[in-house]
Amino acid sequence: MDKLVTLWEGSGLYNLELGQAVMILVGLGLLYLAIYKKFEPLLLVPIGFGGILANIPEAGLAISALDQAIEVAKPAVLQQMGVALGATLDPLSNAEAWRESLKAIAHDSAAPDQVRAAKDIAMNVGYGDGMLYSFYSVAIASGIAPLIIFMGVGAMTDFGPLLANPRTLFLGAAAQFGIFATLFGAVALSSMGIMDFSLNQAAAIGIIGGADGPTSIYVSSVLAPELLGAIAVAAYAYMALVPLIQPPIMRLLTTQKERQIKMTQLRPVSKLEKVVFPLVLLILVALFLPDAAPLLGMFCFGNLMRECGVVERLSDTAQNALINIVTIILGLSVGSKLMAESFLSFETLGILGLGIVAFGIGTAAGVLMAKLMNLMSKMPINPLIGAAGVSAVPMAARVANKVGLEANPHNFLLMHAMGPNVAGVIGSAVAAGVMIKYLG
Amino acid sequence: MQDLGLLQDGLALMALGMGVVFVFLTILVISVTLMSKLIGRFQPVPVAVDTGKKSSPSSVPSAQSDEVMAAISAAVHRYRSTRRR
Repeated sequence: MDKLVTLWEGSGLYNLELGQAVMILVGLGLLYLAIYKKFEPLLLVPIGFGGILANIPEAGLAISALDQAIEVAKPAVLQQMGVALGATLDPLSNAEAWRESLKAIAHDSAAPDQVRAAKDIAMNVGYGDGMLYSFYSVAIASGIAPLIIFMGVGAMTDFGPLLANPRTLFLGAAAQFGIFATLFGAVALSSMGIMDFSLNQAAAIGIIGGADGPTSIYVSSVLAPELLGAIAVAAYAYMALVPLIQPPIMRLLTTQKERQIKMTQLRPVSKLEKVVFPLVLLILVALFLPDAAPLLGMFCFGNLMRECGVVERLSDTAQNALINIVTIILGLSVGSKLMAESFLSFETLGILGLGIVAFGIGTAAGVLMAKLMNLMSKMPINPLIGAAGVSAVPMAARVANKVGLEANPHNFLLMHAMGPNVAGVIGSAVAAGVMIKYLG
Repeated sequence: MQDLGLLQDGLALMALGMGVVFVFLTILVISVTLMSKLIGRFQPVPVAVDTGKKSSPSSVPSAQSDEVMAAISAAVHRYRSTRRR
């Protein structure tokens, strides 16, 4: 009978907390969106599945050896760790109370060497870091995975349309207003006492408006790792929703006549220009904005591999095999941040709300900038391509093309919209660099 | 009072961020334009180079075609003969 009780007490059903159950449902919801609604399935499938894995009770896949030991170790081990952490454990209360107080001490007040000592004790009695925790520390905490993905994106990007019409870079810059307006919105919400975001957290939320998955993950892993799960989910979910979010804003801000504007044919761009461009960008980053160097450096490297034409194999690996491998690990690591205690809070709702505002403001700023440029320059610019300034390559460019075709069935804007689209990638990486410089 | 400070910080970061993004991309626009002009000067009319490359291979196949046809028919013949056995 005792054995049966032990077995029951070790089961998932006995240990399942409400929060974990809700998070498993959230994970299933993400899988539903990915599989049936085709929302960025490449990322949301690993993220959703990782979220389910992270919330399996007692398995502790997403927590460190120390946390795991605190949660499940025998009282004798807890006492040892208490000594190491310099905590006084009340001998009269039970083990559950000890676990609570040890957890609080290990995460807030203990000195780094005390935490390390306690972790050694946990490791010695046989507890190890959870699988997802290890993935997270290797892939995201180190910053490697988003950067490798950025390299792959660079290897997939064709800068031809941008080089043919460099002024479209301004559209990519204007759309970054979404990032900073949202940052300000988050700060305003917390100064009004509705939410509670620090400046770092506000910046990490704002970067959702960059509509760029790897950039969002990179910035939030540096500035606000505790919000990473919600931010990554919001960023990828809204990128999938671009075809729904953008068109109403674009129609609202343009007239039928403006949407019908035809743009002049792009000039052909020589191969040499394409080879030199990533180097020019790299040198400018080195000279003016070293803090954007990790992101833009990898981006330029990927693009140079693509364009130089002598390392086909490397370029092919960067844009296929490598980016796929890293996407799997990145997705699972993001899923590990979907743990009940950090995700189920009022703030998550705020992040989801602010994220969609960020997309909207970015789109509007891009369109308005394009209208301004159209007034000032001799070459006609269709304001719709401004909306593509919020990266989300190539979805946003396709949306611009589609809305343009609705107004004039013979007006193909896709190539024109690719310019601001890739400019948006550069713009959001620059914005990320500024924020990390200012707050990091 | 602290809240007002946070608000100010946010505003400052917004202005600084947008400023840097615009300045950096303006510099990029200028340097890309310059680069394109320079390259256009030293390596003029890429279109002409392209057509030159394309026209020269087109003449080669006619010279090669006999050889290629011979090779292909030999391969086909050999393949068929091995299959029949």
